[in-house]
Amino acid sequence: MAQAQVPVTVLTGYLGAGKTTLLNRILSEQHGKKYAVIVNEFGELGIDNDLVVNADEEVFEMNNGCICCTVRGDLIRIIEGLMKRKDKLDGILVETTGLADPGPVAQTFFTDDEVKARTRLDAIVTVVDAKHFLGQLGQGNEAEEQVAFADVILLNKTDLVSAEELARVEGRIRTINRYAKIFKTEKSRIELDAILDKGAFDLKRILEFEPDFLHHGHDHNHEEEVASLSLTADRPVDPDKFQKWMGALLQLRGPDIFRSKGILAIQGAPRRYVYQGVHMMMDSDWGTPWKDGEKRSSKLVFIGRNLDGANLQRGFDDCLAPA
Amino acid sequence: MKLDLSRPSWAERLPPARSVAGDAPVAACAFNRDGSVVAFALGDGRVRLLPADLGATPPEAAAPVHGGVALSLVADPSGDGFVSGGDDGRLLRHGTDGSTSEIASYKGRWIEHLAAHRNGIIAAAVGRNVVVVEGGAIRELGPHQSTVAGIDFNKDGGRVACAHYGGVTVWSLGQANLPPRLFAWRGSHVALKWSSDGRFIATGTQENDIHVWRIAQATDMRMQGYPAKVKSLAWASNSRFLCTSAQAVFTAWPFAGKGPEGKPPVQFGSEGAGLMTVVATQGTSDFVAAGFDSGEVQLGDLKSRRSAVLKMADGSEVTSLAWSPDGGKLAIGNERGDLILLDLGR
Repeated sequence: MAQAQVPVTVLTGYLGAGKTTLLNRILSEQHGKKYAVIVNEFGELGIDNDLVVNADEEVFEMNNGCICCTVRGDLIRIIEGLMKRKDKLDGILVETTGLADPGPVAQTFFTDDEVKARTRLDAIVTVVDAKHFLGQLGQGNEAEEQVAFADVILLNKTDLVSAEELARVEGRIRTINRYAKIFKTEKSRIELDAILDKGAFDLKRILEFEPDFLHHGHDHNHEEEVASLSLTADRPVDPDKFQKWMGALLQLRGPDIFRSKGILAIQGAPRRYVYQGVHMMMDSDWGTPWKDGEKRSSKLVFIGRNLDGANLQRGFDDCLAPA
Repeated sequence: MKLDLSRPSWAERLPPARSVAGDAPVAACAFNRDGSVVAFALGDGRVRLLPADLGATPPEAAAPVHGGVALSLVADPSGDGFVSGGDDGRLLRHGTDGSTSEIASYKGRWIEHLAAHRNGIIAAAVGRNVVVVEGGAIRELGPHQSTVAGIDFNKDGGRVACAHYGGVTVWSLGQANLPPRLFAWRGSHVALKWSSDGRFIATGTQENDIHVWRIAQATDMRMQGYPAKVKSLAWASNSRFLCTSAQAVFTAWPFAGKGPEGKPPVQFGSEGAGLMTVVATQGTSDFVAAGFDSGEVQLGDLKSRRSAVLKMADGSEVTSLAWSPDGGKLAIGNERGDLILLDLGR
C-alpha cells in the first residue's frame, strides 16, 4: 500500500553530550505528534515517551564481499515491527550509544527495500559536548566520525566554556565537517524545525539544505585525519568516465569515505545529476533542469579519512569532457 | 479434505468467505488444534478469536491483551486455545472462552516468533535467547549471536532450530548436555522452516536469497535471484518441495531424489497479482496457499501445477495465512485488518 514514508532522525554523540536531553525536548514539545524512540540497550534512562523500543545495536556485514556494507539488522526488524501498529507514526528517533559508528545506521536506510519503502532517513544529528569534545577526539575514532557523518551539529554546553574555547572547538568541528549546520546550544535547547524534517538525504533537497554547497573552499587541512573537501568543474562531465572513476574510488576507499554528495553537469543532459552516499552505498537521480544561460558547473563533496584533495581533483578532472 | 483444482468451479467462482473488520494490521493468524476457532493477532494488541464456522456470528472484539502489538500467534499444543507473543514482552495463553493467562513476561523484549509442536512444547524467540515452555517448566537457550529471527521444531519436537546472524543453531531438547550445533552461513537469516521429514532446514536471508542445509551431511546450498527478501517459506508434498514467497508465481524447489542442485525451481501460475508475501502449506499436502502484496490470494497445486484465485486483490497486502488442521479452511489476514475466513470444501 502506498503510504507516506515516516521520517527517521538519528541522534548521535558521545556519552553525556546531551542526547537524552535533546530527545526529551523533542518529545515534550506540544506538537501533537507521535514519535517512536529507539534507544540502545545501555542507554540513559528517563525517556518520556509512550513508545520506547530497546535496540541491541546488532550490526552485521552484508554477505556481498564489501567490508564496509555493515547494517543494523535490529533496526530493520524494529521498523518492520513498528509498521504493524495500528496508530501511525509521525517520526522515528534513533538514539545511538556514545561509542556507535553512525555508518551502519545510515546504511540500513540504503540497503533494505522494506525499510526504504516505509521510512526515509531524514538527517543525522550529532550532539557535541563543547567542554569535552577535544579530549574525546583523542580517545578513539567515534567522536570524530559522529561529527563527520552529521547533517546537523548541536554544539552543546556552550555555557561551560569560554568564548576562545568555543571558537577552538567549532574550528575543529569545521575541519572535520564543513558542510553540517552548527547550532550552539545550552542544555540542548533548540527549535525543533532546526533538527527535524531536514530532508538531508533527499536528493531533491541537496541544494536547499546546504546553501554553502556551491561555494568552493580551499581551507581544508591535510594534517587532520578526518576532513571534508569539495571538488569543482566548469566543463561538463563525461558520464561513463565519471562512473568508472567513482566506482573504483568507492571500491578502494569506501570504508574511509563517510559521506559524499554531488551535483553534476552531465554532457548533453538538460538536468542536473544529483547523488549522495554513505561509504559505498549511493543514491542518485536527475535533479532540476539547468536554466537557459545558467553556468553549468559540477561540484562534489567528500567527508572522509585521509582524503587527498589534489589527487581526487586530478581524478575528477580526467572525467570531464574535452574542452 | 479433498481439493481438486481441475474442477471447473475453482476457475469460475470464489469460495464462500466471511470477513470481519479487525481495525488494525494483522501480524499473525492460526487455527486452534481441533480447527473450531480461528485467531488473529492484531496491531492494536488484540487477539481476536472467531468461530471457524462461517455461519456463526462473530463475537464482539475483546479488549487488547498486549501492550502494543500482538506480534505472534500459534495454536496451543497442549490445550484447545492459542499462545501469543507481543511487543510488550508477554507470552500469553488464550482459552477459547476468551480467558487469558500469562506464561512468562520479558520486559523490554519483543516476542515476534513462536513455534509449537504437537507434543506440547512451545518455543518463543526472546531477544538473543529462545525460551522453551514445556508443561510448567521454562528454560532459556542461548544467547545466540544476534536476536533470533526464526524458530522451528524438527519432526518429533526433540530439536529446535533458531535463525540469527551467521546461520542457524540447532538445540537438542532431550539431551541437556549435548552442545548446540551451528550451521554457519554469513549474513542475517530472517526466516526459518524445518522440513516436515526433518532432513532440511531452510532460511531466508537479508540478501534476498534462501539457504538450505542438509542436516545429516551438514552440506548446504544457496538459491539466489529473488527480487526481495524471502520472509515466508513452506515445505509441501511431504518435503518434496520448498515453496517460497517473493515471487510473482508459485515457486517450489524440488527436494526429492538428489535435491535441487543444478535444477530450476518448479514455477506455475500467472503473473499479475504482484509479489507473494506469504506462502502456507498444510501438513504433507500438495496444496500451497499464497498471499500477494496486492491483496490477492491464490491456491496452487504442486501435483497438477494448476492455480486458482481464492480472493481478489484489494490493495491491502496479505500479511498472514493459516490452514485449518483438516486443510478445508484458510484464514487470511492483511495490512488493513480484515480477518478473512474461506471455506474451500466445495
